[in-house]
Amino acid sequence: MDQAYIIQFAVSAAAIVLLAAVAAWARIPRKVEPLTEPTARALIAEELPDVRIERVWVDADGAAAVAKAGGEGVVLFRVGDGFAVRTVPWDEVCRARALKGRALFRFGDPAAPACAFKLAGERLPFGEAA
Amino acid sequence: MIEVPFDPIRTAIPLFVALVLLEIAAGRFWKARVAYEGRDAWTSLLMGFGNTVQTFIMLGLISAVMLWVYEYRVFDIPIDAWWAWVAVFFLDDLIFYWTHRISHERRIWWASHVNHHSSQHFNLSTALRQPWTGLIVGTWTPWLLLIWLGFPPAMIVVQNGVSLVYQFWIHTEAIGKTPRWFEAVFNTPSHHRVHHARNPRYLDANYAGILIVWDRLFGTFIEERADEPCKYGIVKNLGGFNILRVAFHEWMAIFQDIGRSPRHAMGYLFGPPGWSPDGSRETSATIKAKWRARMDSAAEEAKAA
Repeated sequence: MDQAYIIQFAVSAAAIVLLAAVAAWARIPRKVEPLTEPTARALIAEELPDVRIERVWVDADGAAAVAKAGGEGVVLFRVGDGFAVRTVPWDEVCRARALKGRALFRFGDPAAPACAFKLAGERLPFGEAA
Repeated sequence: MIEVPFDPIRTAIPLFVALVLLEIAAGRFWKARVAYEGRDAWTSLLMGFGNTVQTFIMLGLISAVMLWVYEYRVFDIPIDAWWAWVAVFFLDDLIFYWTHRISHERRIWWASHVNHHSSQHFNLSTALRQPWTGLIVGTWTPWLLLIWLGFPPAMIVVQNGVSLVYQFWIHTEAIGKTPRWFEAVFNTPSHHRVHHARNPRYLDANYAGILIVWDRLFGTFIEERADEPCKYGIVKNLGGFNILRVAFHEWMAIFQDIGRSPRHAMGYLFGPPGWSPDGSRETSATIKAKWRARMDSAAEEAKAA
């Protein structure tokens, strides 16, 4: 391998570690408050403006929310200091398994394979709306 | 290998590092409009590193093809002529515009380029969030046209580097608008914020490299509006920071689609991102059309009231 490339790789690797460390140390992410029902509704409306939301459940730590929109479930979840949204059939939302206090939703999407929803109690709260 | 008089990218690495540190300092100490999320920045920087590895792996092949095409050149364009550098500046930038535009409009190339757009942040680390598969899908091949015309491969490599270095500083929210004459001619942070935005209004716009005039000329220019701040990322944002998913998620999705319906492989590969045989998914065009319809109906309702 060309020596110049070895130097370039080594310098780049060192620079990456330095910059990532400084970026983490600076603590300048966007401010994100835990989700509430109104903020979850607003975020979902922004992402999916044509969807009519019937009901929203926010998880125990305010990092995810599930909304019922007809036969569809809309799952909103936190990613870093932002959010991602995916839709799944409502039946699948109701069939999600509770494990160690969390419900896991699988989307079958390589860009966002799954999301965990922290439960306040032992049972899934969504079944009653089915 | 192609011998270059100087390598703009390698020369600029210390500048990249210094400017990222300066931008972070501006956000931390001077309350500039700058946001960094640790894992997001780490992911962007790792993507940049992976891109240099990709370049290293592909360099031999690309050099060989460039030198082979140069054997069949139409003209002999001298590398030391000033007019040749002026010409290559404009031609390189024009080719960048179209290659970049196709990288957004056709899924096989979007699968690679989406990496650069997948951050929900817009800062200088985003500039370094580069694809790992761009060279494999041939995003460099349009430049062979210039080599066939007679521009020495070294000129193309240098001008490509100059363009990439120019495009680094425009990935920031810390700079508002530049002077009007500069905004009219050059790609700027404001124009490039629009390019990275996922708001329906801003989708598929401002593909320029250095000169924004190409977008104005080909009808893809959209001005940043004070009443609609840019929201960054992709239409369906990523669900995490796993580096392999960041790099390959769209490829995985393409293979998944083709596996389910092989007879639609050409559509899934060469259709616009979001294309599906039954039209059930959304492309940029359908998202924009629905947004326009909502705007029109809101305007009519306001008029009626």
